[in-house]
Order: sequence, then structure tokens, then C-alpha cells
Amino acid sequence: MSETRSVAVVGGGLWGRALASAAARTGCDVLLISRRTEDPPPKVRAATAIAEAARARLVLLAVPSAHATSVAAELGPHLDGGHFLVHGVRGLIGDDLRTISEAVRDEMPVRRLGALGGPVLATELADGSPSMMVVGSRYREVREVVIDAFGSNALRVYPTADLIGLEWASALTGCMAIAIGYALGAGLGPGLVAAFTTRAVHEAARVAYAAGGEHATLLDLAGLGDLLAAAGQRDRPEIVLGRCLAEGKSLDEARTAAGERTEAVALLPKLRDWTHAKKVAAPILSTIASSMLEGRPRDRLIHDLMVTPILS
Amino acid sequence: MRDNAPIFSFNEARKDIVREVVQRVAERIDDPLSVLSDAIYNEVRRHTASKSGGDALARWRSLARCVPTMSRDELSGEVTKLAEEHAWDVAGNFDPRVYSLATKLMPPVLGALIAPLTTVTSIRRLVDAAALADRITVEGHIARVRKLTQLGTVVYVPTHLSNMDSIVFGYALDRAGLPPATYGAGKNLFTNPVLSFFMHNLGAYKVDRRLRHGLYKEVLKTYSCVLIERGYHSLFFPGGTRSRSGGVERRLKLGLAGTGTQAFARTAIEGSPQLVFFVPATISYLVTLEAETLIEDFLQDAGKHRYIIEDDESSRIEKVASFVSKLLKRDGGVIVRFGEPLDPFGNQVDDQGNSFDNRGHKVDPTSYVRDRNGEIRVDADRDAQYTRELGEAVCKSFLRNTVILATHLVAAAMMNRLRAAIGTSDIFTLLRVRQRETVSLRDLEHDAATLRDALIVMEKRGEIVVGEGIRHASGTAIVDEALRAWSGTHTTPVIESQNGELSVGDAPLLFYYQNRLAGHGVALDVLVPKREPSSRGVPS
Repeated sequence: MSETRSVAVVGGGLWGRALASAAARTGCDVLLISRRTEDPPPKVRAATAIAEAARARLVLLAVPSAHATSVAAELGPHLDGGHFLVHGVRGLIGDDLRTISEAVRDEMPVRRLGALGGPVLATELADGSPSMMVVGSRYREVREVVIDAFGSNALRVYPTADLIGLEWASALTGCMAIAIGYALGAGLGPGLVAAFTTRAVHEAARVAYAAGGEHATLLDLAGLGDLLAAAGQRDRPEIVLGRCLAEGKSLDEARTAAGERTEAVALLPKLRDWTHAKKVAAPILSTIASSMLEGRPRDRLIHDLMVTPILS
Repeated sequence: MRDNAPIFSFNEARKDIVREVVQRVAERIDDPLSVLSDAIYNEVRRHTASKSGGDALARWRSLARCVPTMSRDELSGEVTKLAEEHAWDVAGNFDPRVYSLATKLMPPVLGALIAPLTTVTSIRRLVDAAALADRITVEGHIARVRKLTQLGTVVYVPTHLSNMDSIVFGYALDRAGLPPATYGAGKNLFTNPVLSFFMHNLGAYKVDRRLRHGLYKEVLKTYSCVLIERGYHSLFFPGGTRSRSGGVERRLKLGLAGTGTQAFARTAIEGSPQLVFFVPATISYLVTLEAETLIEDFLQDAGKHRYIIEDDESSRIEKVASFVSKLLKRDGGVIVRFGEPLDPFGNQVDDQGNSFDNRGHKVDPTSYVRDRNGEIRVDADRDAQYTRELGEAVCKSFLRNTVILATHLVAAAMMNRLRAAIGTSDIFTLLRVRQRETVSLRDLEHDAATLRDALIVMEKRGEIVVGEGIRHASGTAIVDEALRAWSGTHTTPVIESQNGELSVGDAPLLFYYQNRLAGHGVALDVLVPKREPSSRGVPS
């Protein structure tokens, strides 16, 4: 393992390249592990062998959630207890909704794990526009190393010890963004959209709390911030998908319109079942999940949400 | 040779250990005024509340008056003096002669507890050990643990049900050919008329839970850390107190056991890491001596629980006597089972003391205590996290290694019957059923056998352990075993039997015994650990 400020980023997608750029900008020695080695971001070295990642103490995992476990399994044998592993993966795994850090932990000896989240967008991160993100880890060392590697005048990094809350926030934002897209597509006025957004954040906080997170985490950058960022992107896949559903398109049509794979679609029904089993009130998640699966008419869905009992 | 274990020369090393503890504690204190103020505040409060600490209270008050005019050196001197007092108070005693008697002849010694004033010489006359050797079953990863005691410090972290546990566990270590372990016992046990004899002479050190100030806690932690560094195998009950519910611990803070991580890091810095192995273990009783008191305390309203119980069954001679004689009459009444050893970071360990991650890849334990620059360091924040995760691994081991005996099985089957009959799983309703609901003996026998079969399927998946006494027994034999075990042990029979009809005699005790299965999804479970309180309420 080399000196302090070396970073390996595993995953050559938009998000991985953006993280690599941001770390290179602060003067870190950055290695990008990717299937393609041509045209790496400035001051970033590219490699294809995953074993190379072990040379850095801080390893970032930036792959789609569907590949997180398998990539972690490939990476695991090369790492030891001295590595810090931080992921920037949005999602929850399996029917029991394990967080990415829990799933990754089973595949490797690393204990000092963390996650990234918050309203930072890959494009803004890549070109160095001022933005803010959150690092979550129970280990203070991990939070410090990430702040040191990424923090700059252009990127503020807020630490939290609530790793579970942060991971659930990121996953729930994807689902709630569909609801916001739906509200926009249904032509609701700004008052009602704001109301649904606010209630969506509260609902996400309740769900994350039941999963072991702190609800304050959801009301901050990792939850509210992330959701507002999503709502502000008209072409974001989840927003597009929600809007298409509101316009009466089928789930398949909506998916096609959204373009990329939206992992939240698979997650929503699982979340609905999970909140049901845990007896957590989650009217927005359940209504959106049902409408996706059963193709409920738009007016019916708004009606359902308007008559949901108000919890005191 | 297990007789080489450092504990056999503990008394010679004691002075040096206390000196090292005091020195380390003193070095770590950079604000003696606040440390002293904290101690004064807590002690004055404690003695004022107890109304019995006249002299001590006067001493603390006079110290409080002097503090404002003390120089920094004087303050440090005062703190060091206090640390030294505490360290001597904590440091225990180990008498190899008592150890040899108490372990090799443990059952008769327990029997001899009928007369608590019995001297060592008269105990010797009571010896008839051979017939009693099989009464306590010791099983699990014994061979591996034995090898590990030669390679590093073994820290035993068993489940905790009874005040008999430390003695039973000490005996189990001897039966397994393992060297004795030192342990931190609540100071109240040193005043228990039955147990104090052992506590004073078997390497126990005193933990006074009434002392709440930071300096005392620091002395305790340092003492435990120094012992682990020096290779003293240690026993901690990580649940802190006896399980009030009868259930297996499902959340652990590990407390003093957590100092094992720091001990490993400290010795690694010096270049010769003392390997530390955590060995989770379960202690299972067919009947628990203090069950009545414990479950009563569990069922108290929140806030009324007693943290230290000093007047339970274990302090009443005749109770202990009849309990012990009952215990000794049957095979498999007590089972101590050693789980898979773990390193301080929750990794599996092999016979050579090597660590392996979940996927079976070998990993160097010192890598976990390296900081971002690759330097080996002690980091309290980091080690607290490792310890928390280790606590989770230990809880999983407890579940896998829970040994189910006839009383647990029959209580669970009976409770399941009642739940179905009454149509509720509300524990407070179930506790009121008493004689109203009856279950036919044949039904319960059938249910017991069915539940046992289900447990055997779970056992094949490594989720639980089925006691040998019930493995091949018929439903009739299982129910009979449980009823006979309960009969005469507790004030009222747990289940009353009349003309082939069974009713609940003591609902809290039925609840107590079935709770051993609560974490496995086959019995009523009202023991799910509550999450840590959030800084604010739950959003609506």
C-alpha cells in the first residue's frame, strides 16, 4: 500500500470517472479501475486489473448496485484489514433489503467501510463546479480520509456517522423521485408538489429510522438535499418514469422513455412489502408501488394519497 | 502445559500489574482537576444517597474543599493516589490450591456450599468426585480453543443466566483441559455468603458497579487490558448482568471484553503482538436457580428494574443446596458449549491462530490496527467500532450455539398451544391465563416431538443445537423430563398436571423457559432488542 493520499476508484462509468476527477483535483494519486483504459480523466491513471486497487489505502466502489456484490467479491481477496472501502452505490440488495455496505462486508476482510451520498451530481463533480456531498461511516478515520481526498473549495464534504441512514437515504431518494415525477406529470400545482415532496421526505425518514438509521440524516443533504436535486433534473430517469406513469403510459413504456435502468423500479415493491412487515406507515411508497404494478388510474392514485389517514 | 498459564503466578505479578495500571492511567490524564471533580461529584452523591457512608462522605467532602487551592502537581498526585486505591481494590487473588480443589472436585464443592463456613480441609473430606463427573457437559470447539491458549490470550464471552455461571464455567474449563481464566465479577458477589469463597480465591477481580466516575472505569479498563496483554486468559459476561428474561443475549456492548482489541494493538506497536482470541460460549441449564427472581424483575415496569440483585435465590443456602442436589441427579442438566473462536475483528481463527475472512481468505490481524499512513496505532474511536461489530458476531454465535433442553422445548410448545387457544400473542394476556386454559397431555407430547423435529432441521442448517437428552426421546419422555426437572425446583410448578390435563402453574416461569427459543423464530418473541434511542422522536 502506498502513501496516504492514494485513491483507487473501481468503476469507469460516469460516476466513477467523476469521483476520480474530483480526487485528482485535490492532488491525490488516483488510479481508475475500468474495463476501458483509454481517455482517462486528467491526472488519473487507468488500469484494468482489479488487484491494482489494493495499492491504494482508500478504495472507492462506483458500480451499479446490481454489480456491487460481484465486484466486491472480485476485489475482496486483494484487500486486507488496512484498507478503507467507500462506495457510491445507490440501492439496497435482496429481498431483505441489505445495505450495500453490509453486502460488501461479507465479501472482503475490510471493516472500515463507508458510503457517499447527498445532492452532488456526476456532471458537476466531473467538471469541478461547486457542489456538496456526504460521507457516512461509523469509523472517524474513514470520514477523515474521504474529506481529505475530496474536500476542496469546489467540493464540500459533510461527514456523518449514520452509515445506515445515508445508505437508506440514497436508495429511498430514487424511489421518492418517481413519486415526485408522478406528481409533476399529473399536473399538480406547485403547492401540492411541494406538499408531496415534504411528506415523501418524512416518510423516507420514518422508513430509514425503522431500518436503524437516524431520521435527522434523511432531513439533511443525504435525504432532502438529494431528493430536491433529483426533482430539479427534468431528464433524470426516475423523474421521467414517474411522469410517464402519471401520463397513463404502461410501466414498460415508461421504462423505455426513462432510458437507463432505473433500479428503483425493482426496489419499490420490495420496500412496500418490507414497510408492511415492519408496520411502518409508508403511504407514498405503497401507492406508487401499487400504481406501477397494477397500472392504477391517475385520479385514483392522487385520491388514495389524499385520503390516507393523517398520523398525529 | 496448561499449568504454565500466567494465572498460576498471578499473586507474584500482582504488585507489578497494579503499578503498570496506575502508571498508564496517570499518563493518560491531562486534566486532573476535571477527573478529580467528576470522582468527587459522583462519590458525594452516592454516599449522600446511601446515608451509610459517613466516613467516606466526610473524606470526599474534605477533598472537595481542598481542591480549589491545589496546584496541578498536587491534583495529579491526588488522582494517582485514588487510581492506586482503586487498582488494589480491583486486583483479585488466585489460590492454586483452591483452584485445584474447586475445579477437580467442583460438584461436591458445590454440594459443600450447604455449609458456607466449610473450610478447605473439610471440603476435602466430602470428596466423591467420580460419580459426578458427567453432570456438566462440556462441548463445542474445545480442541481449537486448547491450541489457541498456547498461542495467545483467550477471552471467553459466555451467555449469562445465573450467579452459578462463573463457577460452572471455571469447572468447564478444567474439564476441557483448558487453563483457568481470570474474571471480573460484580462486587456484590464478593459479599454473597455462598459464592464469596470462590470469588476471593479463583482469580476474580472486583467490579464495583456502584462506582460511576470516569477514573474508576479507566482503572478497570486498564486493568483488564494489562491482564490480556500479559496473557491472562479472561472471562467476561458480555451481557453485563444475568439475562432477566431467560433469553439468549441479542445485543451486546461487550464492555470490558472490548479491551482485548486495545491489548492487541498495544502489543503490536511494540513489535510482538499478543494474539487475542474471543471465544463465545453458551451456558444452558435445564433449570435456572434464580429464574423466579429474574423473570419477576424482567416483568417489572420499565424503570423499576434492579441492576444489581443481592437477595435472590443464590444467596439463600437451602435454595442453592436443593438446586445443586437436583442438578447433580441428572445427566446433561448443565451444558457449556464453546463456539467458534474469533479474532478481535470478528474473523474466524484456525488452529494455528490465523485469521480468515468470511470468504476464507487469510488476513493479517495487525492490518486492522494500522492507520491511514500504515502505522500501527491505538485509536479508541476505531476500536470502539471494532468492538461493537464483534458484539454482533458474538450474538450470532450465541444463537447458533444455543443448546435446547427439555424445559425450553416444553415451555415453548405449551406457550404456542396457549397462544393458539386464546388467540393472542400479547404477553400480558398470556401471563394471566393460569388455570383457565388446559392442554391435554397427549397434545403437548405431540407438539414437543414436532417442535424437536423442527429444531433438528434447524440444527442441520447450523442455526441451533438440540440437547442430547431430547434428540431421540419420545414426546412423552421429553414432557416427563421437563415436568420432573421443574418439580420441586421452583416454589410453584411451572406446569401442573392432573388426569392427563395440563395447565399453567406459573406463567412467568413458563415465559422464562420458552424465551430460550425466542430468537429462533419458533416461539413467542417479545425480546426483540429495541433500537438505540434517536436524538429526536420518530417522525410521524
